Amino acid sequence: MDVQETMAACRDAFAELASPACINDPYPFMRWLREHDPVHRAASGLFLLSRHADIYWVLKATGDAFRGPAPGELARYFPRAATSLSLSLLASTLAMKEPPTHTRLRRLISRDFTVREIDNLRPTIARIVAARLDAMAPALERGEAVDLHREFALALPMLVFAELFGMPQDDMFGLAAGIGAILEGLSPHASDPQLAAADAASAKVHAYFGDLIQRKRTDPRHDIVSMLVGAHDDDADTLSDAELISMLWGMLLGGFATTASSIDHAVLAMLAFPEQRHWLQGDAVGVKAFVEEVLRCDAPAMFSSIPRIAQRDIELGGVVIPKNADVRVLIAAGNRDPDAFADPDRFDPARFYGTSPGMSSDGKIMLSFGHGIHFCLGAQLARVQLAESLPRIQARFPTLALAEQPTREPSAFLRTFRALPVRLQAQGG
Amino acid sequence: MRVVVDQDLCGTTGQCALTLPGTFRQREPDGVAELCVATIPQALHAAVRLAASQCPVAAILVIESDAGDEELASADPAPSPVEVERHAAKDQRNPGGHDGTV
Repeated sequence: MDVQETMAACRDAFAELASPACINDPYPFMRWLREHDPVHRAASGLFLLSRHADIYWVLKATGDAFRGPAPGELARYFPRAATSLSLSLLASTLAMKEPPTHTRLRRLISRDFTVREIDNLRPTIARIVAARLDAMAPALERGEAVDLHREFALALPMLVFAELFGMPQDDMFGLAAGIGAILEGLSPHASDPQLAAADAASAKVHAYFGDLIQRKRTDPRHDIVSMLVGAHDDDADTLSDAELISMLWGMLLGGFATTASSIDHAVLAMLAFPEQRHWLQGDAVGVKAFVEEVLRCDAPAMFSSIPRIAQRDIELGGVVIPKNADVRVLIAAGNRDPDAFADPDRFDPARFYGTSPGMSSDGKIMLSFGHGIHFCLGAQLARVQLAESLPRIQARFPTLALAEQPTREPSAFLRTFRALPVRLQAQGG
Repeated sequence: MRVVVDQDLCGTTGQCALTLPGTFRQREPDGVAELCVATIPQALHAAVRLAASQCPVAAILVIESDAGDEELASADPAPSPVEVERHAAKDQRNPGGHDGTV
């Protein structure tokens, strides 16, 4: 492959990541970038870091060496925020807040995402998993192809969210249709039409959550939205309806395309590496190892979507990142850095066997959930969904096979699928 | 060994409760981490150091004491040693020479 030639003049890694070759397989380019231009300055002036150690440090130093954009700076870092609903919503999500506001808002929702709360959700998740697999079984057993992405990988997190938010399932399916468009619009290099499509979808989500908040205010139930509405009403000066809507919008965006992507990649790993399936047939420790390795090999959000602004000139690997520069981290490249994970392109759950979740046996952090104060709120929820799904898929459909090649979404930012058609392999063939 | 969770700093990720469920837990009302044991047995010292190193916001402070035997884990320490530890931790965040494991 003449990666070298193509990349020697790489002026913009973000544009390269959007190329068809990278949509298909971004890892050769990421490797080149990490080896040749690990502190990359894109044409737009954004910096993009691709070494594990640098990424880990930046994530950990967020709030210290790096900060989020101040409210008065939005026009500078998001020139289109004044006219874009999606960007203005993004600007008020938890991911863009700084302490002490960040701390206060995060703690309002943390209680529903504690390890114990998520463990309490296990039976619900297991029930949804079993029901979705049951629903797929007749067509598969008739020898037909089924789109596992739509019927399972996307459906599971959507149904779990409906449960958490106290929303009717049909409403959730309705909202979910626009999530992909919104996520694309948030990419730093989204085109104007992409942003317009994102804004149309965001307007629907915004209106829906506005109504939902009113409904939960008059008829509170045991769900996250009711709880947040209650917190809001006790504390009206500091958590506005707009902030509440942004928080729900942020959870919706962060939660599900990413979880679906990991389920899809996990199933692809099961099919591509049958010799590794034994991890899913034994105890929970083996399942955890498999899940962590899936998360490492294919980070669903390939780079950070929120700006981290350098608080001062920062020298990294011989490059000076000037004060006020917007720094992004290429998580997916860090997860495949041989300095952190030996033989990084090999799918090897043994790296995470018996370790603390998210840490390899060499003590290196798997970066897909981030690190630092913005560490993924839903990390454990995603892990439990994966852990409850994979062994059941394996047990229920041991002869599962690809019906045709999966179709990827043409996204530079999210490594997601449009379709993952599967079928059962003929027995004794 | 003395272990302190800086509850102002805690990012409520639950990572410590996942890593060492018998040692750390998350508070009911807000998910903030706390210790659930009064003393850290010798056998867990290495695991606690690892959990502290993995905390995404470095909110777990391990104070190695020479006394060894009287190992009190306190959630409400005098402020000064905490501040000292935290500043020491910040000084180590040094771009260039950093290491993934810190």
